[in-house]
Amino acid sequence: MAYKPQYCAGQTIVADNRRKQMDPAHKLEKLRDVSDKDLVLIMGHRVPGSAYKSAHPPLAEQQEPACPVRKMVTPTDGAKAGDRVRYIQFSDSMYNAPCQPYLRSYLEAYRFRGIDPGTLSGRQIVECRERDLEKYAKDLVNTELFDPALCGVRGCTVHGHSLRLDENGMMFDMLQRCILDKKSGIVKIVKDQVGVPLDGEVKVGKPMDAKWIKSHSTIYHSLVGTAFRDDAELVEYIQRIHSLRVKYGFMPKEA
Amino acid sequence: MTEATFPQCRISAERLLNPETTERLLNKLIEVPGIRRMLLNGQRLPAIIPYGPAKGLANPHPMRKTIKVGDQDVELQVHVGNVLLELENRESIPALKAACESVFTDFTFRIQEGRYMKTEPSLVDYCKYGPDADKEMLGLADPSSKSKPVILQGIK
Repeated sequence: MAYKPQYCAGQTIVADNRRKQMDPAHKLEKLRDVSDKDLVLIMGHRVPGSAYKSAHPPLAEQQEPACPVRKMVTPTDGAKAGDRVRYIQFSDSMYNAPCQPYLRSYLEAYRFRGIDPGTLSGRQIVECRERDLEKYAKDLVNTELFDPALCGVRGCTVHGHSLRLDENGMMFDMLQRCILDKKSGIVKIVKDQVGVPLDGEVKVGKPMDAKWIKSHSTIYHSLVGTAFRDDAELVEYIQRIHSLRVKYGFMPKEA
Repeated sequence: MTEATFPQCRISAERLLNPETTERLLNKLIEVPGIRRMLLNGQRLPAIIPYGPAKGLANPHPMRKTIKVGDQDVELQVHVGNVLLELENRESIPALKAACESVFTDFTFRIQEGRYMKTEPSLVDYCKYGPDADKEMLGLADPSSKSKPVILQGIK
């Protein structure tokens, strides 16, 4: 029988959502349409419309050593053109944000090529060649992985993951990069990811409603969602891993 | 230094508070007799971005506002998350609870009793203020802070 990846253990909606996001065969639901230009503005690495700066000449123009691995691996568009490596970083609220730092790294590794993801406690960064990044960022912002109120594109001053939401339901942001327009209910990004004000504003749509947020959560939270302890399968799996690691640490032959 | 016998309370709501809600809450709280000291706790909102690529730029933030408590202007420097209180005695707690209930109608809150402010001066306090420190200030502010407390006229 062919191997079929299971992605992660668990029987709850949270585990289900995690599996869906990690599975490259699952098409992520598109929820908003932030344009390429707006994404470039939010990330702030280059002026929209300007040429990509390069770190080395295009692969076609430079002499490549005879290497079987290079022959096997097709370079991404960015690598082919010799683009610089740039990043996008997200903060996700633990109050049921639709994606979470660890999961982002997993799903990016399953879905994207030529990336270097890094997870920190409340934020996740992914680095790759600039034009690949813009392509991937589109997926990360326009689909079900993002919620304008609970996720933020934050290159620095990322604090907010573990804080209570404010009264408007927005995640705390010291730099107030996005503002909720109370009249229209639309979230507008007014600063780029490192907090430099934009000339205009980028509309990223309305925050998703509470029902959607709860049904698309990927974090266990006993107060506002599904409790970790309610997922017997996941608890069993974690306990097994924990027990094996401890035993292996002391006596490898018993593991 | 605070007398160890004075009870202390912490009010924390389900959400971080908007300045308007903070203003309503504080105006209700000051009507309750027996509050000695009060501290607004939360995430700092600096007026100038202190670090990062945007360092030095102004940081307009809708949660940093000047609110009016009683007849005093209070400049908020934080996004208020908790309100710490030091009381004359425990009898004020039901009145505090009633005041909170009238403000927090859209979300939940809780009042906890415990020890939330310093009761002894620390070494840093001693370095900053010396042996004759203003006892009212201990535990309310970071010793390096230059801000002064707002004194609200009580109704005692």
